[in-house]
Amino acid sequence: MEQTIRICHMYPDLLNLYGDRGNILALAYRAGLRGIKARVTALSIGEVFEPEQYDIVFFGGGQDAEQNIIRADLVQIKGDAVKTAVNNGNVFLCICGGYQMMGEYYEEFDGTRIDCLHAINIYTIAQKKRLIGNTVYESDLLRAGAAHNCVEPRKLFGFENHSGRTFLGEGVRPLAKVLCGAGNNGEDGTEGAVYRNVYCTYSHGSFLPKNPAMADHLLEKALKQRIGEDFCLEPAECEVENIARTSASTCKRG
Amino acid sequence: MRSFGTAAAMAAAGAIRFALRFLGKGATTLPGKVAIRIAPDFLNEMSRGKNIIMVTGTNGKTTTTHMISEILKKAGYSVGTNVSGANLASGLATVFAEHAPAERAAGRKGIPTAYVLETDEAAFAVTAGRINPKVCVVTNLFRDQLDRFGELLYTRSCIEKGLDATDSKVLLNADDSMIAALRNGRENRVAFFGADEAHMMSNNVTKAAEPATLPSSSDAEYCLKCKVKFEYSARSFGHFGMYRCPSCGDHRQTPDFSAYTEGSTFETGAPLILTGEGARASSSLSIPGAHNVYNAAAAIGACVLFGKEAGDETLTLPFCAEVLSLVRPAFGRMEKIMVGEKSFCILLVKNPVGLDRALTHISEATDVGGVYLLLNSNIADGTDVSWIWDVDFESRKFPDQTYVSGERYAEMLLRLVYSKAVPDTVKSAEMKRSEALFEEALAACPDGKCLYVLPNYTAMLSLRKYLVGRFRLKNYWK
Ligand SMILES: [Zn+2]
Repeated sequence: MEQTIRICHMYPDLLNLYGDRGNILALAYRAGLRGIKARVTALSIGEVFEPEQYDIVFFGGGQDAEQNIIRADLVQIKGDAVKTAVNNGNVFLCICGGYQMMGEYYEEFDGTRIDCLHAINIYTIAQKKRLIGNTVYESDLLRAGAAHNCVEPRKLFGFENHSGRTFLGEGVRPLAKVLCGAGNNGEDGTEGAVYRNVYCTYSHGSFLPKNPAMADHLLEKALKQRIGEDFCLEPAECEVENIARTSASTCKRG
Repeated sequence: MRSFGTAAAMAAAGAIRFALRFLGKGATTLPGKVAIRIAPDFLNEMSRGKNIIMVTGTNGKTTTTHMISEILKKAGYSVGTNVSGANLASGLATVFAEHAPAERAAGRKGIPTAYVLETDEAAFAVTAGRINPKVCVVTNLFRDQLDRFGELLYTRSCIEKGLDATDSKVLLNADDSMIAALRNGRENRVAFFGADEAHMMSNNVTKAAEPATLPSSSDAEYCLKCKVKFEYSARSFGHFGMYRCPSCGDHRQTPDFSAYTEGSTFETGAPLILTGEGARASSSLSIPGAHNVYNAAAAIGACVLFGKEAGDETLTLPFCAEVLSLVRPAFGRMEKIMVGEKSFCILLVKNPVGLDRALTHISEATDVGGVYLLLNSNIADGTDVSWIWDVDFESRKFPDQTYVSGERYAEMLLRLVYSKAVPDTVKSAEMKRSEALFEEALAACPDGKCLYVLPNYTAMLSLRKYLVGRFRLKNYWK
């Protein structure tokens, strides 16, 4: 029987910056290598989020103006369902603005606090200087596993571009430690966050394409959630991904 | 005692003499940099009372500037203009320094001089007020180098700041909601250009995406004031079209200057109809692509507005239309170079919409004998290459002869492979082998066909250097 992975793309018309759709394409591509079909559903303003309809929920980053457009909708219309989904163990991938919005609050330059979703225990404080550049992180959550022959599978390669500094509260683990770049806040050497099956990062765009072990990790978690803990993702090669990983490994900061 | 203004002018003249010593092959910014250092008021002094048009916006600046320059040359002006890329204050100052002798010589013969200046959006914020041109053209606002600019609204605020420092006539893109909004508070000096409504592509908003593929990311889908999605009754491409906010009613303005093609926008020489000022004129699309229809509308609008400001009766719509059909592309903008029985053609792709237009073009063109993509990530390109994931590769057609190079060739290769739109025969090479790969691609291109080369900015510069030597194209491209 053909399997399907059901992906919910949150606000693709607004949170679509810096190539974040590449992450959806990567999930679909890596699933496809195992004969698993991806079904992507776009949800935007005014649409109801039904957690049981999806295996993976994706939140990308947006510009401030666009994040302001969605904030009310997210908190008032989808907020409770998102929190339910988090507690039920749905897999989430949240990037940059999406990451920040899952937290407690976002404090602007002038000290104004913007209330966020309270889905995970993190908070963000904006600073004037943006943190921009190529990044390399290392995550002990990852192993080659199904990402067959992945070069240095624990390493995560990315590009960050954010003015918010995020700090993790109790119960939330970092996704990785910083080898090159700023990460969560440029201070504590952490990058991203993990809470239950919620994965957050400041890495944009080609995050999952360049990190197939991470993509496979999310796919496997999501399918275990639906099919059962015994489910294992079939191994698949990482040939092209490895070329990109090898050439990114020097981490030149512009 | 000399007045301050004269002293500044003397300093500017000295700066020119000094700058001219630095002028030479390829010196597109250094003379200007030197001139500004000697005379901080250099741009103010050099531009006072002159015929100047400035062109800014994220895409189409070079082509629009080039079209305007060609029209003004035909109308009898001695034209000073900047070469692509040198569009910061130093590049603009270099144009004035470089063209000063020609301007004096023209003046002795009674020939008027005009300056057409392509200006970077951030540089526009500071230079527009110093130059105070007769006409400012704002082409569009697409995501471009967000690692440098941060956000689109920031880019727009730069343009806004520049406009407010001038009392120029302003020509805005009617079909770009973010640019058209710049009319607010400047109504008495604004005119619009745009596509002809009846000839836009039909409303494609409702077209369903294929399962597991995604529509490409679009900018400006929402009314920023009301936080409500625009309704479109027709679209051109990207976020250009007949938008309307269902909440506040903000809607696309009727353009004062518009253009459309009869036939395919992918064909060189397709009939181009231009309208404006109650007149209508036929021309032809000398540089193919739907985006060049916009550039054409912007160029004729700018020239007609300029003509009115300068009291020049030559610059009528029919005159501009006629010249436009003769304009040849600027470097990296579609010009086909013949090599024996085959040709190659370079399309600069520096941001998502540019790449999207280029991919549309090669998917529709009937003479594709190969596609060669080059991706760099130097400061001038933007160091973040993740924008390539914003572009729809999935629904395009690529030929068997597809090639990839550039410093970030691995990322581009990954993008192509993930799209599943390219054949397994795709070949790639790192930057230092990019010239050899070009030769291989050209050799594999069948006779009668064209190799389409799609580099981003610095990749184009290094390729140009190679091609100029390889095909002896010295001074061919400016
Ligand atoms: Zn509105």
